[in-house]
Amino acid sequence: MGFKYIGKNITRPDVAAKITGRVQFLDDIKLPGMLHVAILRPDYAHAKIISIDTSEAEQCEGVVKVVTGEGCDLVYGDNIRDLTPIAVDKVSYIGHPVAAVIAETLHQARLAVKKIKVEYDPLPVYTDARDALKDDAVLIHEDSGEFWHLPGIEPIGGTNIANRYTVKKGDVEKGFKKSDVVIEGEFNYPLGSCSAIEPHGAIVWFHEDSTIEAWSSSICPFIIREELARVYGLPVCDVRVHIPELGGCFGYKSDITVEQTIAFIASQVTGRPVKWVATRKEDFLSTLLGHGIRTRIKIGAKKNGKLVALKTEILHTTGVSADTGVHVLIAATHNSTGTYEYPNCYLDGYSVYTNTPPVGAFRGYGHQESQLAMERMMDILARKLEMDPFELREKNYLGPGKVTSLGETVNKTNGNVKKCARIIQDVVFSHPKEISEDDKYYYGRGFAAMMKTPKGAPFSSKSCYLKFNVDGSVSINMGGAEVGQGLRNVVRLVAAEALQIDPSRIRVYTEIDTQFSPWEWQTIGSMFTTQGGKAVVRAANKAIRKLKETASQVLRVGVDRLDYDGDFVFVRSDPTARIPVPELGRGYTYDDGQTIGEVVHTTADARLPRQSNPDANGQGIMGITYTFGAQGCELKIDKETGEIIIEHFASCFDVGQVINPIQIRGQVVGGVMMGIGASLYEELKFDENGKALNPMFRKYKFPTLKNAPKKQTVEFVETPGEIGPFGARGIGEHPLVAVAPAILNGIYDAIGVDFYEIPVTPERIMEAIKG
Amino acid sequence: MKKLKLNITVNGQKHTLKIDPNLRLLDLLRENLHLTGTKEGCGIGECGACTVILDGRAVNSCLILAGQCEGREITTIEGVTPEDGLSPLQQSFLDNGAVQCGFCTPGMILSARALLDHNPTPTEAEIREAISGNLCRCTGYTQIVEAIQAVADGREEQQGSL
Repeated sequence: MGFKYIGKNITRPDVAAKITGRVQFLDDIKLPGMLHVAILRPDYAHAKIISIDTSEAEQCEGVVKVVTGEGCDLVYGDNIRDLTPIAVDKVSYIGHPVAAVIAETLHQARLAVKKIKVEYDPLPVYTDARDALKDDAVLIHEDSGEFWHLPGIEPIGGTNIANRYTVKKGDVEKGFKKSDVVIEGEFNYPLGSCSAIEPHGAIVWFHEDSTIEAWSSSICPFIIREELARVYGLPVCDVRVHIPELGGCFGYKSDITVEQTIAFIASQVTGRPVKWVATRKEDFLSTLLGHGIRTRIKIGAKKNGKLVALKTEILHTTGVSADTGVHVLIAATHNSTGTYEYPNCYLDGYSVYTNTPPVGAFRGYGHQESQLAMERMMDILARKLEMDPFELREKNYLGPGKVTSLGETVNKTNGNVKKCARIIQDVVFSHPKEISEDDKYYYGRGFAAMMKTPKGAPFSSKSCYLKFNVDGSVSINMGGAEVGQGLRNVVRLVAAEALQIDPSRIRVYTEIDTQFSPWEWQTIGSMFTTQGGKAVVRAANKAIRKLKETASQVLRVGVDRLDYDGDFVFVRSDPTARIPVPELGRGYTYDDGQTIGEVVHTTADARLPRQSNPDANGQGIMGITYTFGAQGCELKIDKETGEIIIEHFASCFDVGQVINPIQIRGQVVGGVMMGIGASLYEELKFDENGKALNPMFRKYKFPTLKNAPKKQTVEFVETPGEIGPFGARGIGEHPLVAVAPAILNGIYDAIGVDFYEIPVTPERIMEAIKG
Repeated sequence: MKKLKLNITVNGQKHTLKIDPNLRLLDLLRENLHLTGTKEGCGIGECGACTVILDGRAVNSCLILAGQCEGREITTIEGVTPEDGLSPLQQSFLDNGAVQCGFCTPGMILSARALLDHNPTPTEAEIREAISGNLCRCTGYTQIVEAIQAVADGREEQQGSL
């Protein structure tokens, strides 16, 4: 392609400050008069609060105020309003805020919080959706049927069901009758933690003039602003939210999750900023978790491998609040087809309240959980049909003219899964397996395809403010959160290409501040490159138009006769008639000082085009863009220890257009590692009382360098998309979607055992080998 | 609480301070000396984000009391950054795409620096061992190993201090 800057390894602008330790993360912020908070968490995961005695804590050195939930009637939620800042009459999960101490120093707050005495009356505890769904289960929210919610979310009052979402396409029962082969399975993707190395946190400052100012390590400043304003009865303009540098996100710093609690606490000490940063244990148990998704699946197919019918039941252990989980459920449900066309579907999803921390976004957002089931079942079905698994998949891949579960027809511009799959087949499977086992190891290879759709909302816009400076350099401001993925460089390179200006002359924003930053819904769903990039191109085109309009007056020719090349605006038929761009940035000034034209600064936005709410069949335009890919691995299993060693992991995605090769490789390599963590090591475990058994890196088994695959192959197909800048699609979440099924299919290849849940630990392998 | 007198050298600069006996080295650096490049990720020595160099050895500063550092020398990320530009090791992290969110990066750089100070030509296995206590959630580690390897192999020019 003839791009000048896109697709080249141009260094991202934010690394030098990070590499020297100079960037400011939330915990690095110090404000005048700032107070610190320690929060008391309960001894029980579900219990009535009988009494709270704060008297001793109040007497401790440095304590400014002890806060309890008494009288707090605030309720939050931008999807379903079921989120409270602090426990009032009962606690509902082990990370629930019960009380808080505000003190002059963090050390003082932590000492004092231990002095608070609470009496509890325990209630039954549910840590799994299956238990909370039983007929005799106690309601975790007595009034759940009454909660305000967005259209398309269907809580069922009198049960623990926070959302039921069902997709119907064709007639699934007729489909099974027509099928020659029907297979069933049940798969589990357990609770996990995003575990960014930077713990989540917030600072909130209730000012004397009734305005609120907040800082958060969040990717959703505008949701926080809108929710705080609503709850405290302020106009949105009176709440200001700052987002400093973020030390990783991977999903859980989305929506409003901790800020509501810190705001309630800070509201007790108007005039002073209050800071809270999660301890690592709190980061595990008092922010958002991921997954907790059980998939029951039934597939009907013809003898020739043609897929006919699919029935899935998705049970989501959504935790105590479903505000951020309801959409994960929707994504998991309608994407449970994986990257295949089923003429007949009945896909039935349930978000279920449980006494576990709330589950929300986790990189992949419901896709990897139900596609673990689908991609494992493809291999199982191929065995049943005695068919080559690649051939089976190829017969059924979504592609141009095929129709998804949502009733949307796939276009060529959505990408090419077949091509991705063939590349992985070539990289991993083109040669016969050299060896099946030796004295020490079993050897296996596995494959899985994947599909990702952004989970947006009808109003999910991103905006861009672009300004030409007096020297012709350009400043760009947006509301997209940089969490490490490198989106600032995407903005810069897309703008450079659109404006034909060297990236070194384009400076992008370093922090988000709702007082200055253009509105953005939230930076989620791998949508920024597509949507944010489109907003940049639109703002750039508007700026070029303005430059031309001014030049048109100076050169006395129509705008349509002018061209722009980054340095000059010139007459197309006579390029010597031209004006340097810097002379047009503030309007054009004649020698006598008279000025004509406008300052060249523009705004633009981009929504998810056509996005709609689901209809009565759960269908609608909710996929918008699809991204397809495939992954494969070569692994070996230690016969003595059961340890699984990933020798080679290969990924290929149709990303439309690579913006920056080194960055996109980093996204894939890191995402694959997260997927390996989930497949082999990570599970946040709770005992029957709802107490967490391993809320620390060492016991959660966060992957270290020793767990990294020996080799990763990263390939891309570039079928340009219709929406994104220069055809580009997102990539942030995709790399971990098919990792687990690829590995589990590889484990079957190695030892002939089908695993239906992760993590596949050495213990599980040894049991399987012996059993 | 009775204060302790502490003499400590941080990034070549001598300090004499009065500190609480329970003050962690991490807090001394971040709070007392405002060297916020050292990060806290877990507080219990599991993530390595707070790694600094203590008398030539990479340590987790969250596990060490400031009082244990009497008369000793500490190097933080601020101390390995040249006044102008980046060190070759930092440059190599940049060139190899070894930085995403950047929160683990200072600790990674210091672990790598301690390794290269003792062993300028480490094998890949030695590199893996040296930074196996530093967790990174973004990169998948591969590009970090490549960045350190590039310096060890002399592909990133070593000028003066690493």
